[in-house]
Amino acid sequence: MNLSSSARTDSSAVEPGTGSAALVAESPWATAWRKLRQDRAAIASLIVLGLITLACLLAPLYAQMVSGTDPFTTNLGGSIVVGGESRPILAPSTTGLGLGTTPIGPTGEFGPYLLGADAQGRDVAARLLYGGRNSLFIAASATLICLVLATAIGTVAGFFGGMIDTILSRILDVLWAFPIFLLAISLSIVMLNQTLRIGPVEIGSGSLVLPIFIIGIVYIPYVARPIRGQVKSLMSAEFVIASVGIGASSWRILLKDVLPNVVPRVIVFLPLIMALAMIIESALSYLSIGVQPPNASWGTIIQDGQSLLYSRPLVALAPGIAIAVTVLTLNILGDGVRDAFDPKSSVRIV
Amino acid sequence: MLYALVARLGQMVLVMFGISVVVFLIFFATPGADPSARIAGRNASQETLQQVREEFGLNRPLPVQYTLMMRKLFVTGDLTSFVNRGQLVIPTVLRAIPITLSLVGGAAVLWVLGGLLVGVLAGATRGSLLDRSLMVVSLIGISMPVFWLGEMANLVTQSRLHDIWLFSWVPALGYVPLSEDPWGWFKVLVIPWCVLATLYIGLYGRILRASMIETLQEDYVRTARAKGIGERRVMTRHVLRTSLVAFVTMFGLDFGALVGGAALLTEVIFGLQGVGKLTYDAMLTLDLPMILATVIYASFFVVMANFVVDIVHMILDPRARDVD
Amino acid sequence: MHLTSLRTISPALALAMGLAAAPALAQEQTGGTLRLLARAAAGTIDPHINYTLQYFQLNYILYDGLVTFRKAEGAEGFEVVADLAREIPEPANDGTSYTFELRDGIQFSDGTDLTAEDVKASFERIFKVSGPTAGTFYNNIVGAEACLQSPDECSLDEGVVIDEEAGTVTINLTEADGEFLQKIAIPHAAILPAETPAEDLGTEAPPSTGPYMIESYDPNSTLAMVRNPHFEEWSEEAQPAGYADAINYDFGLTETAAVTAIQNGQADWMFDQPPTDRLAELGNQFAEQVTLHPLTAMWYAPMNTNLAPFDDVRVRQAVNYAIDRNALVSLFGGPNLAQPACQILPPGFPSYEPYCPYTAGESDTWQEPDMERAMQLVEESGTAGQDVTIVVEDTSVSRSIGVYLQDVLSRLGYDASVQPISQNIQFTYIQNTDNNVQMSVSQWFQDYPSPSNFLRVLFSCDSFTPGSDASVNIAGFCNEDIDAMMDEAESLTLSDPERSAEIWTEIDRAVTDAAPAAVLFTPKRVDFFSERVENFLFSPQFYWIISQAQIDQ
Repeated sequence: MNLSSSARTDSSAVEPGTGSAALVAESPWATAWRKLRQDRAAIASLIVLGLITLACLLAPLYAQMVSGTDPFTTNLGGSIVVGGESRPILAPSTTGLGLGTTPIGPTGEFGPYLLGADAQGRDVAARLLYGGRNSLFIAASATLICLVLATAIGTVAGFFGGMIDTILSRILDVLWAFPIFLLAISLSIVMLNQTLRIGPVEIGSGSLVLPIFIIGIVYIPYVARPIRGQVKSLMSAEFVIASVGIGASSWRILLKDVLPNVVPRVIVFLPLIMALAMIIESALSYLSIGVQPPNASWGTIIQDGQSLLYSRPLVALAPGIAIAVTVLTLNILGDGVRDAFDPKSSVRIV
Repeated sequence: MLYALVARLGQMVLVMFGISVVVFLIFFATPGADPSARIAGRNASQETLQQVREEFGLNRPLPVQYTLMMRKLFVTGDLTSFVNRGQLVIPTVLRAIPITLSLVGGAAVLWVLGGLLVGVLAGATRGSLLDRSLMVVSLIGISMPVFWLGEMANLVTQSRLHDIWLFSWVPALGYVPLSEDPWGWFKVLVIPWCVLATLYIGLYGRILRASMIETLQEDYVRTARAKGIGERRVMTRHVLRTSLVAFVTMFGLDFGALVGGAALLTEVIFGLQGVGKLTYDAMLTLDLPMILATVIYASFFVVMANFVVDIVHMILDPRARDVD
Repeated sequence: MHLTSLRTISPALALAMGLAAAPALAQEQTGGTLRLLARAAAGTIDPHINYTLQYFQLNYILYDGLVTFRKAEGAEGFEVVADLAREIPEPANDGTSYTFELRDGIQFSDGTDLTAEDVKASFERIFKVSGPTAGTFYNNIVGAEACLQSPDECSLDEGVVIDEEAGTVTINLTEADGEFLQKIAIPHAAILPAETPAEDLGTEAPPSTGPYMIESYDPNSTLAMVRNPHFEEWSEEAQPAGYADAINYDFGLTETAAVTAIQNGQADWMFDQPPTDRLAELGNQFAEQVTLHPLTAMWYAPMNTNLAPFDDVRVRQAVNYAIDRNALVSLFGGPNLAQPACQILPPGFPSYEPYCPYTAGESDTWQEPDMERAMQLVEESGTAGQDVTIVVEDTSVSRSIGVYLQDVLSRLGYDASVQPISQNIQFTYIQNTDNNVQMSVSQWFQDYPSPSNFLRVLFSCDSFTPGSDASVNIAGFCNEDIDAMMDEAESLTLSDPERSAEIWTEIDRAVTDAAPAAVLFTPKRVDFFSERVENFLFSPQFYWIISQAQIDQ
């Protein structure tokens, strides 16, 4: 799978004209915000995304008040009362050869095991909320890391040029040509098999830092390259040449002239990269090289559900829908943000 | 122009060298990666373990091991797997290529046709209900994880609804060579094609629509319209043609990446023993020779696709020659 | 053997379970092609090197040794019978010398005759190719030590003495070994042509003597077997003729896809165990195509006796008391697929006497966990609060067992976490002391039916090598008293087998008491085959005897 194409097309055109936005009377931020507010689809997505996040943040409350079980410990021998009759959470098969056990399905009651149990007797609904916290947290953090590093690399390479540019560009080339999944998989396999020690900080194999770090790195070239291109063309823009002409320091030019023009482009990337990060996170977890048990993410729940696909398909179905809805809202939001921040495109895509 | 070409080629080699070194180092940084004990077998004596380590040269310095391995891969071509001893790596990869090509090629036909249809319909009817529904459907297609979609497709066609008329024709998962049984080949691949193409139909449809709308605003299109050229002719002759440039660029990059093994998840889920699955299996078993071969193969396609796209750009747009 | 081997069947139990798979056939059906499935190939095809059950099962019908395990169901399948030799020889010289008389007229699949020279060359080849068991099973042949040191110049002139004229082979040992015939009955001692290159054959199969031969092998797609044109049945109990004309073994499908393929009649059998969520479906709708056989094997959780907190025997015992084996059985697929266990030797094994110190209430089999006792032991040890990492294989069953054990350890007051690592790496990873693995989940399957194959291999000082990937005593358990008992039991194997068996029973108890591992359960094997497969015979040593399957056409 390759979700990078949408990022690439964004990057393929280098637009030199963004600097002129600063000359408009209304501040570009205000313009963008005004445009975004008028975009009903984007605002609706923002609200849905907010609700999903809120629900996931309230996971402990749900686990305590509604499901009443610990979503991280196995519950192999228990039973619950549904509709007045007691049912085992894991029911051994009693017919035929009596092989296998089947976890309880959706109870249809707002209470314990609303969406049924997984193979270890854990409440799927509660795990879904906890898993969402991890998925969202990983995607958001990875996006931030990716954007910050990519902006830094892209700006430095484009601004200083020369040797620095050459070295950074070659490193980006290697990262870019390394097939995304293969890079992610090989990094995960190494890092999962050992505990990383960076100074006093110890990153255990179960830590969320690993998937964040991996996903953050993988998409750097997709953001850093267009930013480098943009900075390069900015360097030949009239207002930058003017600054150089009046003897402004490099730092001043970087901070006052270059960065403000780069930031809108970075913001356009934000929802897009986050959507990609969600998908990659779930794929890595699905291949069991992302979030580690008993921690959950939507990807690991799909993986748990995969071994129940035939008897309890909902376990895999529900997190898949959750991912799809979240990524969908991020994509719609991404369109809105692009329309709002990228002055050139006046096109609405949805 | 020639200089640019040669420089690009040089960079390609450099990038692939970098990747092979990274893979090699990652492998040896992994604890438990030493294959000697796995090769030697369960409960092997220490002498046996030592013999195996020597036989495979695993006790030699890393640069020597790297050189030997690269020589076996590129010069003598007799590099063998660490896991399935005696399995020659190069023929194995070569045998996997037709499978990946079948999967990606078929999906590409689907997604190009689908992308064109969606993009043109939506672009031409901009703002209509049709346009809006097509865009929503495309977005949903983009938003579903491909492995999940594949699992669901399997659930429905292989199990839940396998017995009804609609899906009773669906064969067991796995690959059937085109040369042996063309109809079987088609039946086995049609569902993987659809699953893999879903994402790209959405992406390409959206991109095509956007660039069509952009082109419609251009002066020459307005001029053409003002001249009274028929709407259909404007669309096909001017708008579509210009819009297709972005489309073709994307296609080159995506196709390269997928042929290189990026269709890994689809291959794993549908039991297709293509390059992606080969790479994935090799990663899980830490089969270094196989990983090196497949990753170099994959990066070759990615770099190659970039290269071709760059060349096309250089031809179309002379300014691009200066920008690296 | 790990992951891959043999199981035993208690005949009574098998009957009770409705092992109805061996139907009385109205007529024998020969011909047809079997299509077998496995998720992955199992490495080299070289019979002297491959050490997986997956290919042992094939090598069992492809190749022959001087002796072999009888191709029969039930306990009979554990008996060693003469194969290329005319009969089982009596040991001479205090059990250090065996003379085999070769059968006449046996040919390899390439048409050449099998001679005594081939036998000697094959034994030397075990060392020349550094076979996995060369140093553990065959190191007591005279001259073997030198061969282990310098495999290239290996010569067994004194260890394997041949007489071409008389067609005899005499094997001399440095000391008596009651298990020697069992050791040369496994495929690692298969007889190959003397000209077979002394290197790993990889994907090129050598000529075979059995009813089939390998036509082609591609680990990424198919292993194809066809009839051996030079095969003539010489002993029905050792190597009976096959029924199917060809056998294709296809690799690459997931277990779920394989189950579906067999259900839909697109394949005949799968090597891997069906995934747990398909079991109920198989047991109900396909009951006639399923067989169950208890294995002489165990799932167990080794605890590193050299690392805190498990360097304290009380902690290891506490874990044993606290584990609810019934919960694990239900994770594995329910009570019909596994049986709770708490001692090292599996039921039905030589020297097995029921023994379970780790159960609530007085019983010699496991009943229920004793959490109170476990908490008390942890408190006495003063180790609560320490970190414990459990390294498991990255498979759904192993992962779920790991998560369950993590729960147990958390309840005992430890700060526990689970680390799944790739199935292929985990087994060597947990062996190496450099990786500091505190606790892991693993399996052990017998190589041949002898208590030493569990107790000596897994828990003796000999099999513990710090810093090596090949240190199968994962717990690092080394107790000199217990080792001395093992030596005694082994020395009595030939002279006083009864006393020897008694000592092994004592060792089983002693090791169980010292708790270097928590034994979890004894698994059963599920075989799922297509509707058209008949005469499904199951050897306790090498599982399904593929050559005996008949295809209903």
